[in-house]
Amino acid sequence: MTQTLKLASIAGLLSALLVGPAVAHHSFAAAYDTSPEGAITIEGTIVNVRLTNPHSFFFLDVEDENGAVVRWSFEAGTPSGMLRNGYSPEVIKEGDVVTISGFRAHDPSKPNGMLRELVTADGTVYGMFGPREGPVAR
Amino acid sequence: MSAVRRMRTTGLAAACIALAVAGSAAAQDGGEVSRMANGKPDLSGVWWGGGDVGGPGFRVGGPGRGEGPPPATFTDLYQPSAAEHAAMLSDKDDPTLQCVSTAFGTLNVRMYDVGAVAQIVATPDLVVFLSETFHGYQLVPTDGRDHPPLPPARRGHAVGHWDGDTFVVEVENFTDDTWIWAEGRVSFHSDALRVVERYQRVDADTLVIDATVYDPEVLTEPWVVPTQTLEIAPFDMLFPLDCSGVETQELMDAAAELDE
Repeated sequence: MTQTLKLASIAGLLSALLVGPAVAHHSFAAAYDTSPEGAITIEGTIVNVRLTNPHSFFFLDVEDENGAVVRWSFEAGTPSGMLRNGYSPEVIKEGDVVTISGFRAHDPSKPNGMLRELVTADGTVYGMFGPREGPVAR
Repeated sequence: MSAVRRMRTTGLAAACIALAVAGSAAAQDGGEVSRMANGKPDLSGVWWGGGDVGGPGFRVGGPGRGEGPPPATFTDLYQPSAAEHAAMLSDKDDPTLQCVSTAFGTLNVRMYDVGAVAQIVATPDLVVFLSETFHGYQLVPTDGRDHPPLPPARRGHAVGHWDGDTFVVEVENFTDDTWIWAEGRVSFHSDALRVVERYQRVDADTLVIDATVYDPEVLTEPWVVPTQTLEIAPFDMLFPLDCSGVETQELMDAAAELDE
């Protein structure tokens, strides 16, 4: 199942999104447009989650305005940080419908982005490094 | 001594005693510091800012993101020629894009390198700093030897000694192809870079780090790093975090072309 592509600048989210640079192995700003103009929100269906070093990636199929399915990827945090924050590979699986907010690539023709927030169908919110709330893995 | 002056002196002494007692009590809140065979505090443990980035409990280990004027940064102290050079650099020039370590570290904690958690393995003669990123490590001998006659290194070469219960680390002999920080924050330095750090395990759960960064080739004066206060992490090992430098290279190349 694919979902309708929603690409928009979400001015209201910017105060929450633009909270400073995430600690990462590289500058996200080098690959992604972290300005207000680069903010996007996309709804789609998860096809793969890669918990890979140095950063994780979420892949999802998204239906564009013409009905074509486009496969997007969103770069997230380090697997170590996500796992310690309580994320596990069973949390988000293939076929899950999610809404991702973040920033698109500098080249707008590329279906790639940087993840800042992921919301599952039941409303659970995840950040770049996993759950926003919950116990630290011990 | 007049009665008024004596009273002031007595009051001051009482206040000092009260502060000392309060400080002593605070220092023991996290439990007694274990000691190594040589009697020095054992710094061993995994240290972080109370959580992973963006996760529950995370906080920056020092001042700079709260109220009040931010403390000076390394680049605030650039000489005019260095500031001019820095203005020509940007995100795309960040060495960490190629999985190269920093010379200092994100969040103003050197042992983090590019990350937010680090581990110390301490013995009486050798202290080992482990960074989660890039399998990074630094060996700090404490047996009195001098800096080794080795070629420059990206993380420099370190020796350490104890000043009472404070572990002092002196790092020098850096290459000049790294930045002080990561995440695209322009912060180049010269090969004259030198770092002096002081580590104090004030209780079982708390590590306080003070550092001063010297680089007379590019700075007008030494950079006094804001004091960092770290917590013992609730796990005993780092995770490996490799870096290929290629996963977003295509996007970064495209971004560079758009800039041209």
